[in-house]
Amino acid sequence: MNLFLQKGSRWGVFMFRKIAYYIPLCMIVFVNIIGYAFLAFKEEPYNTQAFLMCFIVLAMLCISYIVIIKKRFGESYLFLIVSMLLSIGIMMIYRLNSGLAVKQIVWMLVGIVVFFTCYYSYLKIDKWHKYAVLYMAVPILLYILTLVFGTTINGAKNWIIIAGFSFQPSEINKILYVFFLGSYFKNQDKLFFQKSNFSEKNKILINKALLMFITYLNAGFLVLQRDWGTIALLLLVYLFVLYIFSEDNKFLILNCALLLPTALIGYKFFYHVRVRVEIWIDPWQDVLGKGYQIAQSLFGIGSGGFFGTGLGMGKPYMIPFASTDFIFSAICEEMGTMTGVAVVLLYMILCYRAFKIALNIKSRFEKIVVLGLTLLIGMQTFIIIGGVIKLIPLTGITLPFVSYGGSSLVSSFIILGILQAISKRDFSSGGENYG
Amino acid sequence: MVEVILLIAKVFFASVIYLFIFSIIRLIYLDIKSMNVSKVNLDKGFPTLRLKTKRGLLPFKVEDIYVLSKSMTIGRQDKNDIVIKDSFISGIHAQFILENGEVYLRDLGSKNGVFVNEKKLESNNKSLLKDSDIIKIGQVEFIFTKGE
Repeated sequence: MNLFLQKGSRWGVFMFRKIAYYIPLCMIVFVNIIGYAFLAFKEEPYNTQAFLMCFIVLAMLCISYIVIIKKRFGESYLFLIVSMLLSIGIMMIYRLNSGLAVKQIVWMLVGIVVFFTCYYSYLKIDKWHKYAVLYMAVPILLYILTLVFGTTINGAKNWIIIAGFSFQPSEINKILYVFFLGSYFKNQDKLFFQKSNFSEKNKILINKALLMFITYLNAGFLVLQRDWGTIALLLLVYLFVLYIFSEDNKFLILNCALLLPTALIGYKFFYHVRVRVEIWIDPWQDVLGKGYQIAQSLFGIGSGGFFGTGLGMGKPYMIPFASTDFIFSAICEEMGTMTGVAVVLLYMILCYRAFKIALNIKSRFEKIVVLGLTLLIGMQTFIIIGGVIKLIPLTGITLPFVSYGGSSLVSSFIILGILQAISKRDFSSGGENYG
Repeated sequence: MVEVILLIAKVFFASVIYLFIFSIIRLIYLDIKSMNVSKVNLDKGFPTLRLKTKRGLLPFKVEDIYVLSKSMTIGRQDKNDIVIKDSFISGIHAQFILENGEVYLRDLGSKNGVFVNEKKLESNNKSLLKDSDIIKIGQVEFIFTKGE
């Protein structure tokens, strides 16, 4: 009798947890159904293809989520939040261009496969901090490859086209850069020249100089590619990691101070940067020329109102690059400012969860990696959303998980896979190992 | 008419996204709530309860160590100081009382009782705890350590 009761109670608790886990998933299903219903019934003849899209997206998300829950992947909210962002993104891309949306779904499938591969391979290999040399060499190699074989698309020479597929190596490079920061700060200032016979003080100085050299080398290559968004992203992540993990305040101040001349040189010598700043200050002076993008974006956000024009009823195609860089404006126009704010909130809880993983973790290397990757996603979101609403100068980078773009989506899924793997390690060592 | 339906659909769409966010935040909140915040007090020499049962066997969240920095109640309800969502534990199950450096345990009229070294405590009677006593509450067993 006692045994039976015990079993029953466990079942009850188990059921409660189970249901609690699936409520958010149901809401994702609801959002998708409503969204695609808008798209299907917006005009006659009704577009039943939309429901097929809806079904494929939901099937992929639900299967992955159930695998994550059943196989006990650790942190389960990250993928849920990302699912919501992905659904909103694909809905919007489908509304703008159904061909692109099909491609995006293929990329999403690739991304999910990459997510699981990253998860398992991260857990398989134990000593990730030992490969600091790789984290330095591979990005440089990729940058040189991009410079030699690269193609210019939309003013940035950061694309390599292989067999019809174009991808951006800088998306991978920024992840590798975070790993490099992790292995550098694991034993702070003790990465290079440990066996040489310099004095201790000189060793530290050389290490710091090399850290700065690698960072500015990355930035320098990106300048050659005219990829301003990624430069801002890398430098911000660098400064934040320095601020959190470096005990040397003078070095931090030196780095912050160096940022000012860098920005001034950029403004003085690069036409692109100057234009970006000018249209940020006043887009209306040249509305039909340079300020066109940002002006259209602002018109789009403004015409949406609180709840938007309704999916398929606005004119988001008036905004240039509506499916990639300016997708946030398109979302604000058709789904409303409320949804726009919700998207920002989703990124906030995503970052919050990731920060919490970083707080719980014991290994210093993984702490830095989680923090760096979270900062990558958070800062990228800030830079692009800030750009399209004219809060900061606009730079062309993608909104992670929402924008159309294969390499962006795949790299975001790599980040997610690594976060998931680290959270799993944390859960199994910290003992939060339950249903 | 169509416009009204459209408006309702739009509002509904946005509110489901917000509901999603709130449900996630609620799940996160429940996670945080069951973490024991007083871990910091561990090295201050307060008496502690250490988990004896293997955690893997329990279908609910339990901490490895609970620090008794003040008099604390234990039970299933969220208002307790130590919350354990075991269905064998009553809403407010028992109370640890700190008095003059000694720790007493009192059963607050729980259904399944409190066992100290396999002996059931009398209801509402406080009894003194000694170092390395084994306390069984519901399905969970703790070892009591007195600290300094």
